[in-house]
Amino acid sequence: MSDNPIKKDPRLDRSGLSDERLQEVHSILLREKPEPKEGDTPLPLFILGFVTAVIFAGIIYFVHYRGGLETGFHKAALIYDERYDPTKAGVAGQETKVDPVAQGKLLFQTCAACHQATGIGVPGVYPPLAGSEWVTGGDERVVRIMLQGLTGPLKVEGKDYNGNMPAFGPGGGYNLSDEKIAYVISYIRQEWGNKAAEITTDKVKEIREKGDVGRVKPWSFEELEAIK
Amino acid sequence: MASLRNLAASLNPATSTDDVNRAESREIDASTKWPAIFLLGSAVVWLLIGTVFALISSFKMHSPEFLGDYEWLTFGRMRAAHLNAVVYGWSVNASFAVAFWLMARLSRSVLRHSGLLIVAAAFWNIGVTLGIGGILAGDSTSIEWLEMPLYATPLLFLAYALVGAWAVITFRFGKSQHIYVSQWYILAALFWFPWLYSVAEIMILLTPARGTVQALVNWWFAHNLIGLWFTSIGLGAIYYFLPKVLGKPIHSYYLAALGFWSLAIFYNWTGVSHLIGGPVPVWVQSAGIVASFMMIIPVFVTAINHHMTMLGNFDALKNSPTLRFIVFGAVAYTLTSLQGSLMAVRSWSEVTHFTHYTVAHAHWGMYAFFTMTMFGSIYYIMPRILLQEWPSAKLISLHFWATAFGVTLYVADLSIGGIIQGLLLNTPVLAHKFGLQEGTDPVPFLDTVKAALPYLKWRSYAGILITVGHVAFAINFVWMIVRSVEVTKTKLTLFCTPTDTEVAAR
Repeated sequence: MSDNPIKKDPRLDRSGLSDERLQEVHSILLREKPEPKEGDTPLPLFILGFVTAVIFAGIIYFVHYRGGLETGFHKAALIYDERYDPTKAGVAGQETKVDPVAQGKLLFQTCAACHQATGIGVPGVYPPLAGSEWVTGGDERVVRIMLQGLTGPLKVEGKDYNGNMPAFGPGGGYNLSDEKIAYVISYIRQEWGNKAAEITTDKVKEIREKGDVGRVKPWSFEELEAIK
Repeated sequence: MASLRNLAASLNPATSTDDVNRAESREIDASTKWPAIFLLGSAVVWLLIGTVFALISSFKMHSPEFLGDYEWLTFGRMRAAHLNAVVYGWSVNASFAVAFWLMARLSRSVLRHSGLLIVAAAFWNIGVTLGIGGILAGDSTSIEWLEMPLYATPLLFLAYALVGAWAVITFRFGKSQHIYVSQWYILAALFWFPWLYSVAEIMILLTPARGTVQALVNWWFAHNLIGLWFTSIGLGAIYYFLPKVLGKPIHSYYLAALGFWSLAIFYNWTGVSHLIGGPVPVWVQSAGIVASFMMIIPVFVTAINHHMTMLGNFDALKNSPTLRFIVFGAVAYTLTSLQGSLMAVRSWSEVTHFTHYTVAHAHWGMYAFFTMTMFGSIYYIMPRILLQEWPSAKLISLHFWATAFGVTLYVADLSIGGIIQGLLLNTPVLAHKFGLQEGTDPVPFLDTVKAALPYLKWRSYAGILITVGHVAFAINFVWMIVRSVEVTKTKLTLFCTPTDTEVAAR
């Protein structure tokens, strides 16, 4: 071989190596043990038993926890836990049912800034929601107030108020969907002792599309009085 | 090489084949010298950088205000930079060097055109530098173990392709008729790594798989990088250095074969067991769990093989640095692998997963097993390629005790902390049963953090200890390369003076 690396090693090429230096290089070579080999001790018998036992246990485990070998992600993903009871958890894959009142409660945090968490409002400015017939009465007025807002003087339960409520409907400042408006109204109708029925998303949509489409002006007390 | 053998034979007809073999292996060592020094040198630099990143991220876990004002040093970047520096910088560089050296020696083949290998190694290190710089600059991909941005990875793949091909070529040119166990592992790992890395890059970063499949690929890759690359190289090194230092054959060929093939068959399924309880089909999880279970076979078989080889030679641990690190690594391999099988048990995973316990497990494997094995290998390889001894036995001793004690403290501390954290975080009912909390209500998150705090502090102390070891190692390493070679007398660098000449050969 032409490029013999040993020849490149200056320490080996150097003439007149001292005895000590020679010994040194030799000792590094000589202390090398032979390259390792594998011994031929046969496999102990218990290893075969052990391997068989582990494989057996693995198969039993897999068959037990195979989860029906389903490829879908809904059912198969859940039943790994033996405490899981499908009968108690509803049918997998079905859309979960939303509680409109609970959702409305979350959204009401915005409303509470004026109407207060207790729903009693602020005297002279923001009318109460608790016990108000505007809330528990017909759908037509409350939905419209939510959609386009309300401004100017008004009378609730014989008391005067003069405030300003922004529009919450689609296209308004808060841009809530019909669904969310239904949640909020459902919530205020069943809180603070109010006992009126929940409202559906479809109903909100129906009122919104009834002829006020494109209206951005907030309602006034007189206009709402005219609506039954 | 042939000429040298002829020369020896022509000068002295009585020259034994043993002498010829020694001359041959000297020649092979010389051919690996520069690539090995380059790779190991880069590895040591990355080890120190990675250690600094590790300390910073560890401090931040209990003192968040530490270096908190520097965008580049935030926890999210530091942790990823630490992982990539120690995995792709230190571990891969070291494993390349060890794999090459072992491959050349065991194949009895001179490393051809070693300059090309240095080019490949340079590319690898440029890629890693680019990648870690990218992570620090905020370009991390946020995929664990694949954080390096896409502008760094092609360079890494290219460098690897060259390195891998070179190792296979070295093997092909080998004169050895027999393929030793270490070669099985190294050769297999050389083919496994590009498969893992390319599939992960394509399926996660280039054309990302959606949804849970992405998580599956991610765990498959990260776990297999440890299991099929680092474990293979680590076991290859143990299988070589253990019998080599002792000067006796490995206990049993058949056990070695069983261990190798069962690892090859079962390991690459086990990553899924980290997704237990996740939105992954249950049969996939179960397959991962069973595979983790099955890993008991290769681990047990390999442990028996190593132990039976060691049997009757434990005295050698007193003086051989290589052996001490290698045996520490081998024992850690057995223990961490058994822990891995345990972690795949559903009820145990429920408690410990996504806690510090998993972090402890990762360090047990990557540090106590792999890194310690690499240290041992480097202590053996360096004197052979430089033809001189390690400058200081005291520094080696400090290195061993600081890292061995440090990592043991680290693993024990975080395992206990992780279990407590997991009980409070994941299974409050169980935590109540063990008296960790009153009532069975879920524990407020902040309380679980407070409970883990002392363990995180101890982790930092353990980290400081490990850092001391690394600094000792780096000093010894640099000293060995730069010091004047005119040593008047050869004295083996051992921990203590052996009493008989047999042992002195180590």
